[in-house]
Amino acid sequence: MTVKNKIYILAISLVLLGSCTTKYAVVKSNREEQNINSSLPVDSSIIKTYMPYKVKVEAEMNEVIGYTDVVLSKSSSLPESVLGNFFADAVYNQARKIEPNIGFVFPTTTGGLRNDIAKGPITVSSIFELMPFENQLILFNLKGADVLKVITNIAARGGQPVSGLKFNIKNKLPENILINGKPFDVNKSYWVATSDYIAGGGDENVGFATPISSKNMSILIRDALLKEVKEVQAAGNKINAKLDGRITKN
Amino acid sequence: MEELQKINRRNFIKTGGIASAAVALSLNSLDAFANGRLQKLTILHTNDVHSRIEPFPMDGSRNQGLGGTARRSALIKKIRAEQENVLLLDAGDIFQGTPYFNKFGGEVEIKLMSQMQYDATTLGNHDFDNGVEGFYKQLPHANFPVLIANYDLSNTALSKSTQPFKVFKKAGLKIGVFGLGIQLKGLVDPKNYGETQYFDPIAKANETALLLKNDYKCDLVICLSHLGYSYRNNSVSDKVLAANTRNIDLIIGGHTHTFLDVPEDVKNLDGQITTVNQVGFAGINLGRIDYYFEPFKNKKMKVGTPYLINNKLDA
Repeated sequence: MTVKNKIYILAISLVLLGSCTTKYAVVKSNREEQNINSSLPVDSSIIKTYMPYKVKVEAEMNEVIGYTDVVLSKSSSLPESVLGNFFADAVYNQARKIEPNIGFVFPTTTGGLRNDIAKGPITVSSIFELMPFENQLILFNLKGADVLKVITNIAARGGQPVSGLKFNIKNKLPENILINGKPFDVNKSYWVATSDYIAGGGDENVGFATPISSKNMSILIRDALLKEVKEVQAAGNKINAKLDGRITKN
Repeated sequence: MEELQKINRRNFIKTGGIASAAVALSLNSLDAFANGRLQKLTILHTNDVHSRIEPFPMDGSRNQGLGGTARRSALIKKIRAEQENVLLLDAGDIFQGTPYFNKFGGEVEIKLMSQMQYDATTLGNHDFDNGVEGFYKQLPHANFPVLIANYDLSNTALSKSTQPFKVFKKAGLKIGVFGLGIQLKGLVDPKNYGETQYFDPIAKANETALLLKNDYKCDLVICLSHLGYSYRNNSVSDKVLAANTRNIDLIIGGHTHTFLDVPEDVKNLDGQITTVNQVGFAGINLGRIDYYFEPFKNKKMKVGTPYLINNKLDA
């Protein structure tokens, strides 16, 4: 190997070494969000992939099981919402068929209301999108002090979907509490139904850790909603949920 | 739990002096653009797609007609055709939200992400909705890695299925991407997350980002976070993470379903820019950030040099 060649190889090596250690510094960043809407074309290969699943899902999901006369919406500036009241009342009605002594139900959190339902036909899909979770309804016999913990936490969170319960929030605390229309007595015990998620302390809920007794009602909360909508329909009625001042803030 | 938020961007002007300083200082760097030495990297991202395979139904609801994987895929393909260096990333909560998940357990979601050629995702809390095993079951359909640096899954079905980070090489650029998950206790049924152990995201982020910058010589470090954009209480969020870490250039967030008008630029512990972005949920939007890089050799990088930021793409 000649000296010239050696120098040549050395030069190449240096260049290679240099390119391996090349570092880059950001000098500019451009950002732009792209909205995915009907102005965009579709990729038919994607539709081809999901179509066999869609056919199966739709056969089950598109069945109309009832009607609502009002938009069932989560949007509300109040401690209650139309959607929350519909949800809680439906679960209350179904739970009382299993356990008539229930005082109130607290079946989901506001954050757990996953989709609004438009005015008109209610499909199986509407209920799945509202309540996609596989949560069970659990019945608790709670000491008055624990009931107060549950309600105090609901007040602190600015209200949650409940049925059978009425109170006012003042300075983030509950007052004038009524359970099934009767004044709350901290020395009494009450039957309260909630989801296994809430009972387990999900979303920072408290009060269900040391019940007098508890039992799984063996019904999925979603199934309770489906059953209620079907029963209202079978009775020739339509869903007509309202804001009724069950939780107020003054 | 998640709340829809629309963030008022006027706050950004007040706190984002770092971005305007960048505009003033870095114009000279763009000489390299004229020389053709700039490298361009396009980051595309989603979060909290929640099984939204098809657009929201036309039923009068707020998001009717928006989203849909077929349109997202068409847009991604168009961008890939125009751009050489693209990374497609997701910040978790792939699962839960439509009957597709209830009936098929996430198979459709993961298959479609593979078909769209996602480069990586992280774990969201709802990805545990069918248990650790439920997520594991769908992994044969995934051709992209699941990145999570602050969960120890070694005693679970996912023990060999995740990695803390991945280094991507694109045209000489090295891009380090790592994942962070939210505290599962109190958010997910314990039977669903099993023996998953959670570690402090800030400590893990600093450790991982330092490794990526120093040992792996990454030119850009990206965090896929499912911590959430911001909280009124002291919970760790993307904003808290950005301000309390070093070496992270971009946090792609999720969990809080936050719609931001523009990404937020936070001053990190080194006084450098850590950008936080999140694009709502359900695939309503696709985030896009184009980074332009200038090469430098055998000279020390100017530490803390800000860069030019535009909230629109080059024409």
